[in-house]
Amino acid sequence: MRYGRILAGELHKAATLPAVWGGVAGALLGALAVTLLNSVAARAALENGRAEAWGSTSPFENAYAAMPLTVVGAVVLGVVVISSEYTANRADAGGGRQIATTLTVTPYRIQVLAAKAITVVVGVMVIAPATLLVTVGLARLVIGGGAETVSVTAAVTRCLGGTLYATLTGLIAFAVTVLTRSGILPLLVLIMNSTLVSGSLLLTKLTPLAHWLPDLAGRRLFGGLDTVDGGLAPLPGAIVMSGWTLALLVIAGAVFSRRDA
Amino acid sequence: MLLIDQVVKRRGSRTVLDRVTFAARPGRVTAFLGPNGAGKSSTLRILLGIDRADQGRALIGGRPYRSLREPLRTVGAMLDGVGAHRSRTAWSHLAWIARTHGIPRRRVREVLEQVGLAGHAGVRVGRYSLGMGQRLGLAAALLGEPEVLVLDEPVNGLDPEGIRWIRRLVRDHADAGGTVLLSSHLIGEVAGVADDLVIIANGRVVRTGTLAEVTAGHGDLEETFFALTGGAPGVGR
Repeated sequence: MRYGRILAGELHKAATLPAVWGGVAGALLGALAVTLLNSVAARAALENGRAEAWGSTSPFENAYAAMPLTVVGAVVLGVVVISSEYTANRADAGGGRQIATTLTVTPYRIQVLAAKAITVVVGVMVIAPATLLVTVGLARLVIGGGAETVSVTAAVTRCLGGTLYATLTGLIAFAVTVLTRSGILPLLVLIMNSTLVSGSLLLTKLTPLAHWLPDLAGRRLFGGLDTVDGGLAPLPGAIVMSGWTLALLVIAGAVFSRRDA
Repeated sequence: MLLIDQVVKRRGSRTVLDRVTFAARPGRVTAFLGPNGAGKSSTLRILLGIDRADQGRALIGGRPYRSLREPLRTVGAMLDGVGAHRSRTAWSHLAWIARTHGIPRRRVREVLEQVGLAGHAGVRVGRYSLGMGQRLGLAAALLGEPEVLVLDEPVNGLDPEGIRWIRRLVRDHADAGGTVLLSSHLIGEVAGVADDLVIIANGRVVRTGTLAEVTAGHGDLEETFFALTGGAPGVGR
């Protein structure tokens, strides 16, 4: 079987899964809401002549601050692409899970898993820049384009950094879900960790080694965001986070190719 | 030809399949019979490469399932109920499957018509009845116009008309030279259509042969079945 067909099948499967669109829509709406709140406050600060009180009045900064929500979208995508395979049907409809169909239609496990990982990458690489584009547009509408202080080059670099972070996080979510076969635990842990309370950040109070955890290692990929001091610089951080991602994907591949479905 | 050769499967300390051996031949309908939990699904999952055997081999035309280049064009399988995510429609389920094998959309429409789901193609699988789910599973099995059909409990949940329909379908498929292996715990439902029987109980094949060979010495298939599997009538239903 040509690899393109396996990939086409997986892309098709993801694009026609309502949970994927739910995750994308949720992340986009969340990012729009945060951007709107930020921008309204920034505009009020500008109008009151107290711009410095609101950190930054740049539309880009106010939109970029919502990018962690895109990371949540990436986590949802990474999780549901694989957890949907293991969701059991209603018992009175015969039970049954999609994974049996997937593995009889395309019994080449590593290729299937790789196609799913590529699906996550493609998805996040479309969602993240698109969300940023839409939110920056919204912020410019509210604040006004004249207040922009971030250069286009800087904006593009930071968009790429944030997108890379979201992509790697999506892949980590994917790899962990391959191991758990259920999306509940990875969704809870990863979304909590990237929104409410960062468990890894708390760990840094105990040991500086926590700066080498995947999420903290990569956090400087978000150039310009306020974050705690210390830890790895952007490039070594990106390498460490990519290393984690790769290692988890390799483990997921080894387990997936040996395990009974 | 399908060949299951000395297949052993263990789960923990339990041996679920103990040197299971049989064949299913072209032009014939082979019924794989046994009570629930006897090892029918475990055997079929190994045949289709979903689970691994601890020993032995399972071959399709002399090759393991996982080495088939375009499996759906050789084997149509229905396992594990519908095998579709419940939020999908029948159409989207069959469409992604077709995509992997370069099967045209026209064929998706054809199989939906064939199994009687054309009017429900846009309904989410989660809202299907058991019988509709079985029909969708069959549609997926037929999609690649395969030579071999492997169907796990295909009559489960079908109404009498549906059972008649599936009997005719497998009969026609075998008469056209195809190979059919179907499992069931409902002896009565397959008696009329099977050429060869394989009876399994507690992970062991207890009898194989043609319908006449297997029932020889017993009154009918039902009596044979219970004599061989050691169950009382009604057990395992």
